[in-house]
Amino acid sequence: MDMSWYLVLSALLFATGAVGVLIRRSPLVILLCLELMLNAGNLALITFSRTLGDEEGQVFALIVMVIAACEVVIGLGIIVAAYRRRIPLNVDELRALRG
Amino acid sequence: MDATTYGWLILAFPLAGSMIIAFGWKLLPGRAAGWIGTAAIGLSFLVTLGALFQILGLPAEERQLTDSLYDYASAGGLDIQMNILVDPLSVFMCLVVSGISTMIHLYSISYVTSDRGFNRFFSYLNFFVFSMLLLVLAGNIVLLIVGWAFVGFASYALISFWYRRTTATEAGMKAFVINVVGDIGLVLAALFIFRELGTFDLLAIFEQAPEQFSTNEGVVVLIGILLLVGAFAKSAQVPFHTWLPDAMEGPTPVSALIHAATMVTAGVYLIGRFYPIFEIALTAADIAAIVGLVTLLIAATIALVVTDNKRIIAYSTMSQIGYMIMGVGIGAYSAAFFHLMTHAFFKALLFMTAGSVIGAMANRQNIDLMGGFRRSLPFTSALLIIGCLALAAFPGTSGFFSKDAILAFAEYRGGAYWVFAIGGYIGALMTAIYAFRIGFRIVAGPPCEVARDLEQGVHHHVEPQNPATGEAEDTDVGFPGEKHNIAEDNWPMKIAMSVLGIGALFSGYIQVPGVTDVLHTFLEGSFEDSKLYFEQPTDAAEWRGLATGALISLTGIAIAHHFFLRNRAAAARLQARLPGLHTFLANKWYFDEAIDLLIVRPTLAFGRWCDSTFERYVVEGLVSGAQGVAKGGNSAVRTAQSGYLRSYALLLFVGFAGLGLYFLIAGS
Amino acid sequence: MIQVMLWLPLAAALLACLAPRRAAGWVAALGAAGTLGLAIALLAGFDSASAGIQHAVDEAWIPDLGVRYSLGVDGISIFLVLLTSVAWFAATTWSAIRMPERPKTYFLMLGIAQTATLGAFISQDLLLFVLFFDLMLIPFYFLFGSWGSDHPGREGEGAIRRSPATIKMVVYTLVGSLLMLAGAIATGVIAGDGTPVFSMAELRADPLGEDSQRWIFWFFAAAFLVKMPAFLVHGWMPDAYRVAPLAVLAVFAAVLSKVAAYGFLRVVLPIFPDATIQFQEVILVVALASILYGSVMAFTQTSARLVAGYSSVAQLGFITLGIFALRPDGADGAVLQMVNHGLVIVPLMLIMVILAERTGGDDITRMGGLALRAPVLAALFLVVTMALLAIPGSANFIGEFYILNGVFQEKIVFALIASIAMAMAAYYALRLFQHAMHNRKRDDVESKEIGWREGAIVGALVACIVGLALYPGIVLERSDESVKDTVSAVQEPSDEVAARR
Repeated sequence: MDMSWYLVLSALLFATGAVGVLIRRSPLVILLCLELMLNAGNLALITFSRTLGDEEGQVFALIVMVIAACEVVIGLGIIVAAYRRRIPLNVDELRALRG
Repeated sequence: MDATTYGWLILAFPLAGSMIIAFGWKLLPGRAAGWIGTAAIGLSFLVTLGALFQILGLPAEERQLTDSLYDYASAGGLDIQMNILVDPLSVFMCLVVSGISTMIHLYSISYVTSDRGFNRFFSYLNFFVFSMLLLVLAGNIVLLIVGWAFVGFASYALISFWYRRTTATEAGMKAFVINVVGDIGLVLAALFIFRELGTFDLLAIFEQAPEQFSTNEGVVVLIGILLLVGAFAKSAQVPFHTWLPDAMEGPTPVSALIHAATMVTAGVYLIGRFYPIFEIALTAADIAAIVGLVTLLIAATIALVVTDNKRIIAYSTMSQIGYMIMGVGIGAYSAAFFHLMTHAFFKALLFMTAGSVIGAMANRQNIDLMGGFRRSLPFTSALLIIGCLALAAFPGTSGFFSKDAILAFAEYRGGAYWVFAIGGYIGALMTAIYAFRIGFRIVAGPPCEVARDLEQGVHHHVEPQNPATGEAEDTDVGFPGEKHNIAEDNWPMKIAMSVLGIGALFSGYIQVPGVTDVLHTFLEGSFEDSKLYFEQPTDAAEWRGLATGALISLTGIAIAHHFFLRNRAAAARLQARLPGLHTFLANKWYFDEAIDLLIVRPTLAFGRWCDSTFERYVVEGLVSGAQGVAKGGNSAVRTAQSGYLRSYALLLFVGFAGLGLYFLIAGS
Repeated sequence: MIQVMLWLPLAAALLACLAPRRAAGWVAALGAAGTLGLAIALLAGFDSASAGIQHAVDEAWIPDLGVRYSLGVDGISIFLVLLTSVAWFAATTWSAIRMPERPKTYFLMLGIAQTATLGAFISQDLLLFVLFFDLMLIPFYFLFGSWGSDHPGREGEGAIRRSPATIKMVVYTLVGSLLMLAGAIATGVIAGDGTPVFSMAELRADPLGEDSQRWIFWFFAAAFLVKMPAFLVHGWMPDAYRVAPLAVLAVFAAVLSKVAAYGFLRVVLPIFPDATIQFQEVILVVALASILYGSVMAFTQTSARLVAGYSSVAQLGFITLGIFALRPDGADGAVLQMVNHGLVIVPLMLIMVILAERTGGDDITRMGGLALRAPVLAALFLVVTMALLAIPGSANFIGEFYILNGVFQEKIVFALIASIAMAMAAYYALRLFQHAMHNRKRDDVESKEIGWREGAIVGALVACIVGLALYPGIVLERSDESVKDTVSAVQEPSDEVAARR
């Protein structure tokens, strides 16, 4: 099996996610794109693990999934809290932490 | 007990007295503080007598003893001990200081009796005596400076004793600052001495000075002049004299003790003690003599004109100290110290009588308001006349013998020194005139209103007012209030004044030329290596001098009699004919104004300029500059923190891509 | 024992945080008392004849960076440690009596500050010294900023708010400290080959090349001169002194400025001897300018705090003058003056607390006649004033005398000009005393005697002043050996330099 196809797929997914983060304004969509990037990374890890026969890659992918889950929880929590306080869910307007 | 142990005890008693009164001020009943203070000084006097007998028991060449208690500050190459020097000169000074002080303490018990600060007064007074004794007993120059400064502090504390009067606190400040200027002179002299001779110990300095310095070498003259700065500041010689008249703000016993008999003589002691330096630095000695002469004359002219009783006596003190300074300057050491002793007697007496009169006058001091107290204040008047006689050097009184001893020596030295003799005689004439100006004004003539009331036994009462500012005195803190303390009513005052009166009349007999030579022989032990000490004018020359002095004294008294007794209007006419001269003298030769213009105002103006301009623009500029730089850097970096999530993400990606690219390229 | 003394204040402060609110101050005061006791014990066991470090502690800390945890006292620092303990004990007890707001945080900050200051005095490793030097500033930022008070300022100037004043002070001082950090790192790196070397003993034994010494000297000097403060870089002082709480200002003015002077003696002189000799005259000029400028400014101030502040500028100028005379007597005098000045400033500031309470501020033109029903206060204030103006007979005079002697023997002109400052000090110190205590009292001011607890603290400090005045040798003799050692480290290169000329 030629692993390069998987890597290309992974790269495409990553690029899509990255462009989404840079272009979209809704925090929910940015979170989704972030998930996309993380899973693209997962795909690359598993691909290499399979090809090289080293389990460490798969273990790492599992860890990444855990961390992604935690991060999503927090991110969604913030978004829901913001929505409840009627704060506009627009990343360009959420700039109070300006220098 | 040997002499040095006595020496430590001489110091211990007044210090103990001062501390006991200070710490127990709340507990001491009634006038106990006064008696404790007097007893402490009395004990000191007795111990001094003990030291005197010890010293007399030793052969003349071995009479200089030192003793060190502990290492005061010995490190880094300097060695400063806590040591004292007991020798004829210091024992003599201790006798004069403790003896006169005992009498003044006794006097003060009555004089200050109704004052709220009674205990504070005696604590300070005892501390002053301790300081003065420390000054004369000090065995090294640093300890002498310590005693010098403590005396200045005690003087400040006592001048501003009635601290709610602004005139008193300002006078205190003036005295203290001028005193510190003198301190600086002494410190610099000490530093120079250490640089050249490597020691601070007095006896070591005196031994090495002749070997290290040649006559009139630049350094030693400089040391002499610096010592003179200190001496002039302390002894109120021109141009450092402006504090003394203002010091009359203090209570009269303070004026008697500090500003007549003891503290102001410290300068004379200093020059006499450092005679080895001054006999090498001849220029400095001559400067001392000239300044003494100038002061003597200037002060006498002012004393002819001012109207405040105590200030006349203050200028008289300045003038007489001028005689003493002139004396030690030309080398008449024993004569100068003789005059120091007699002056202490009659000047303290004069102040005491002045205090009694001021008490009667309800605290007004203007002699134009006084007159004819001979029937109402008989005791005071008698002693006042005794004091005036001694001051005027009336034949037979102590002042007669001592003043002329100095002038005879000046004649004996001949040459240019005749100036001092002639100047001295002119001064003596003026002295006799103003002495009896006081005497005749107060004692003789028709009784003034206060005197008439007093004869009936009624004490005059006036709301006390500060003569300088016109504001009402604050009798709450005790500025002599209701009670009028006159000698006739108080036996402690009478005893003190009588003792001093006897001294003023008869103490001259210890040094009658050709007959007795007590003082000169006694002080030999301290002046062994002096070239000038052992030269004496012939007896005949001395008697000639005495005769001249007697003539001048009588002439002066006669002139005073004419102007102030027989023909009172004559004084007023003379004043009207020479108004310019009168104003000039009445304004004390404008010294205060000159110092204010040349020194005080520029310094304060400079301070204000620094505060308003320099501080505001230069210093703040530096601070703002630093802050500006910080802020500038800050705002430059701030632009990256835009707050936009997406620009942060972009930066992240670009950054990582760049890094990754770099490693990729570097790796291949 | 030295380690216990170092960490005890911090430990006590942490305990105070756990204690109930009322007792917090007393726990901290107890800690300060314990520190004082340990400092006295250290002094008692001190050997005056030896020049080296005593009670040494030396352990590896960060081996890869060459930083060691190295402590110890010698003749120069033993009395400064004692001064720190005394000053903090007085301030902590005073604060415990007059409970401040939020006491726990307050005493925690004081405790951290004391540990840091003690650490600066006893550290024998350069980086450890820099660490403690910077650390000691932080608690004061909080103490001045939170517990300070706004000051009305002079006419023509607006009110001075505590936040900007504190920030100004911190930024200014930190600029210097950062330069010092850079200098310290450079020293360590240049001196060691491979692993940096920060141990002061080793740096002394093998000084750097002259060129490196030159710029590193100025980086260190920058930090110390700003901290003192010296002339031209004292801009932070007026505002900071006017907003600070007085009890805290007492320890700040008394002790922290001495760390800077101590830094010169401990770090700059032994480790950068060639640069010291080269720039001796420049620093002497700065010191002289500080003396004169500080004294002249003190004449005209109407704020009692600023009189004390500018007077401190002048006094630190004297101390610097003594250090840079590069003679044992000058440096001995400087060490003595460090102790003296600290010992005088603390009671002065505490007395100013009383004055401020009576008259509602520190404006001396609004004071007057307070001696009326307060004789004990007046007496204590008088003794402190006399010590402040260095009346001969006080230990301050001996310190100044030694300093002047040291400078006199080498650079006579400086000593002559510096001696004028004695008269100026007499004027401004007495002016402060007279304005507060003498003349008429204003009707709206109440004159009351000092309370017995406060009086006990001030009285104990005054007793120390008097005791030291009777025997200044106690400090001079103990510091003599170490000072001679330090100065001789500079003198040897000076002989070489002289030989080269």
